[in-house]
Amino acid sequence: MQRKTEMEVVDMEYMMELAFSGCSSTSSTTGFGDLAWVDWSPAVDWGHFSVENDFSGLLEHYGLPCTPAAQDWSTNVSPTSTNCPGTPVEEFQPQLPPPIEIERDNNRGLRLVHLLMAAAEALTGANKSSDLARVILARLRELLAEGGATNMERLAEHFTDALQRLLDGVGRHEDQPPNSGEVLEAFQLLQDMSPYVKFGHFTANQAILESVVGERRVHIVDYDIMEGVQWASLMQAMVSQQETPSLAPPPHLRITAVTRLGGSRRSGTTVLDTGRRLAAFAASVGLSFSFGQCRLDADDQLRPAAVKVVKGEAVVLNCALHPPHLPWRSAASIASFLGSAGELGARIVTVVEEAVVVGGSDGSGGFVGSFMEEMKRYSAMWDSLEAGFPMQGKARGVVEKLILGPMIAGSVGRAYRRREESGEEREGWAEWLKEAGFQRIGLSFFNLCQSRLLLGLFNDGYKVDEEGPNKLVLCWKNCRLLSASVWSAPATESPAASCFSW
Amino acid sequence: MFSSKKPTMNSHERPPMCVQGDSGLVLTTDPKPRLRWTVELHDRFVDAVAQLGGPDKATPKTIMRVMGVKGLTLYHLKSHLQKFRLGKQPHKEFNDHSKDALDMQRNAASSSGIMSRTAMNNDRNVQITEALRMQKEVQRRLHEQLEVQKHLQMRIEAQGKYMQSILEKAYQSLAGEGAMIATGSYKDQQNQATMNQLGAMAFPSLQDLHLFNNDQLEISPQLDRPLEDFFPSNEIALCLGKKRPNPYSYSNGKSPLIWSDELKLQEFESHEENLKNNIDHDHLQIAPSIINGGMEMESMSDVYEAKPVLSVDSNGEKYEGSSKVGRPSAPRRATVSTPERMSPMIRGGGLGQTRNLSYA
Repeated sequence: MQRKTEMEVVDMEYMMELAFSGCSSTSSTTGFGDLAWVDWSPAVDWGHFSVENDFSGLLEHYGLPCTPAAQDWSTNVSPTSTNCPGTPVEEFQPQLPPPIEIERDNNRGLRLVHLLMAAAEALTGANKSSDLARVILARLRELLAEGGATNMERLAEHFTDALQRLLDGVGRHEDQPPNSGEVLEAFQLLQDMSPYVKFGHFTANQAILESVVGERRVHIVDYDIMEGVQWASLMQAMVSQQETPSLAPPPHLRITAVTRLGGSRRSGTTVLDTGRRLAAFAASVGLSFSFGQCRLDADDQLRPAAVKVVKGEAVVLNCALHPPHLPWRSAASIASFLGSAGELGARIVTVVEEAVVVGGSDGSGGFVGSFMEEMKRYSAMWDSLEAGFPMQGKARGVVEKLILGPMIAGSVGRAYRRREESGEEREGWAEWLKEAGFQRIGLSFFNLCQSRLLLGLFNDGYKVDEEGPNKLVLCWKNCRLLSASVWSAPATESPAASCFSW
Repeated sequence: MFSSKKPTMNSHERPPMCVQGDSGLVLTTDPKPRLRWTVELHDRFVDAVAQLGGPDKATPKTIMRVMGVKGLTLYHLKSHLQKFRLGKQPHKEFNDHSKDALDMQRNAASSSGIMSRTAMNNDRNVQITEALRMQKEVQRRLHEQLEVQKHLQMRIEAQGKYMQSILEKAYQSLAGEGAMIATGSYKDQQNQATMNQLGAMAFPSLQDLHLFNNDQLEISPQLDRPLEDFFPSNEIALCLGKKRPNPYSYSNGKSPLIWSDELKLQEFESHEENLKNNIDHDHLQIAPSIINGGMEMESMSDVYEAKPVLSVDSNGEKYEGSSKVGRPSAPRRATVSTPERMSPMIRGGGLGQTRNLSYA
């Protein structure tokens, strides 16, 4: 009884505040928020466009951008919150383009998809013809030039660029220029607007933390460290776990950045800068830290002997294959890095990678299928950014241009080379590790909980899937974006085993 | 840190503190001395377990290593962990005023307790212990989640701070290359104001890409409100409707989520009271009341989580719960248009602002 009255009181307060806070909107709209938004659908007849079944799924993606408002709020307004403050229906309708325009946009979208597919096919298919590809790409550019800047068009533009690079043969193994201020700024924006970056960092870091509890020296070998953004939070965590005085002091942390041999002079400086910056950060939180660098061979292979491992330290291999990490890495290079885990005595290997679907969902499409899957995945990212930040079109533009664009180029390039290089088609490095006999290390409740909380800071459309005991997948709606998985080396007596068995 | 920071969590279970020896352990004076799990020792235990990734992951050995309390043996930890895994809180000093419930709980602590009860065909007690067990389990999960949240927040802040240092550095070198105008002053003295200004001045490089020109105008009247930086005026209420409030605000030293959990814990308390009363009177009502209670708690949490947002009035004048993020406002006006202002709650940058140069 008492409880119930408390509830009522709270409810009343809640309502009062609603009444005040909702004063900008008309009270008549408050009651039917759920219904209104769920039933509300854009004036688009999808049947009209589903010329081929293959496209319908994709078009759903591209359809979303036309109705960001409806999509977003129909998910945000949960059925439990019956009192959605101010659902100003009338305020949003004017923002939507008239139906005819939507229809035209979708027609354009469909044409763009068709042309992109045709171009991809001309690049690789049975009737391979670079001349044809060139013509198609030129036509695409025409279309894009005369069009507006809908999401679909911007997306198509990046994919057109990516195909153009393949056609021109640029960007195969080129060095990535050091990230400029703008790119970093955009990277920061991406971090603010989506859980994409932190999801990978934090999941890997938590697994690392758990695997080195009680160790005196921790040695992380990081493949392509870039700016070292991942490690600040790990340092912080190492220190903060030790706040109770009687606990053991934080370990000594050593990070070895694995870099390319032939890297330009400038990228060399970047790595050293990163080292200095990490050292400064470690000093600021009071962590004992050292930094080293290890160069790959001329053919980008890692020789385990090149990594100096001190006896008694816990070795960690970290491989983050997501932005701002960009294209130069070849599959062979990554394989040589992961493959050295046993020799280095690594107790844990963490891998963060894009959730690539090879050859299309039906598995038969080869490059064209992969290409379409990439389009699907990136359009999901487009969608997720827009749904979360509908009013920040310009900020999104920056992220698209400076981060996602190069990512698309990289992904398309990898899809193209995957077929060319290996012949075999594998979906990501997790698969590779499994085949190579690596053991899965289960993720803790803490880790799962952490990623859920992190996603909770962003739009409802994000979710995290557990895939096996050792892998988390970040998804937007039903589209997989990124995965993080944790492994132990296949060596006989893995030191990690003792940590978890008792 | 942990034990000092959450008096509210434990307010209902805090007896007069035990005096502890230098090892921190309190042993009974029985002929066969048993370890007394004081609140503090238990807290430390819980911290260690959380740090090790939860009770299912932690082992007595690793806990012993992490806790590092002298005199604590594997044996002690083993049995304590076992109880903990079952969702018990085997404090002797726990809730003196609800002895009945505590007795039940104690009986249930060992499976034999449950067995003997069922042997006596006393379904009611099983029900009660089961209810209590669930309750404790939820409580434990909540506690764990709080720990995770605390850590997550610190990690986000650390990453934000670090990103900030990179960005500042990038703009510095940009300035060094002569792309900037007012470069003279900051080179030696890296004070915050200068850097902020730098950020603002460096931003035009992004504006060259035709960015932010309009947004800037819209946003400017609401400079110092972290949420509105991202959600111009009337969109706020909607976007924030569910979960956009700054979940990590420091308005009163704890986040709204923690706050809501406290309320939940209070709920627990009142449940316990109810439970006790019910035990005395009519046990048939117990199980349903618990179930209802659980559901109510769910919906309550929604209410409470939503509340801080809703206290934001439409003009953004009053940001009670969510945005009194203690940060200096005046000197930062210069940087409004920079994207680093956009989402302090996500990056935790707002808090780090004043100190993020200490290591740059």
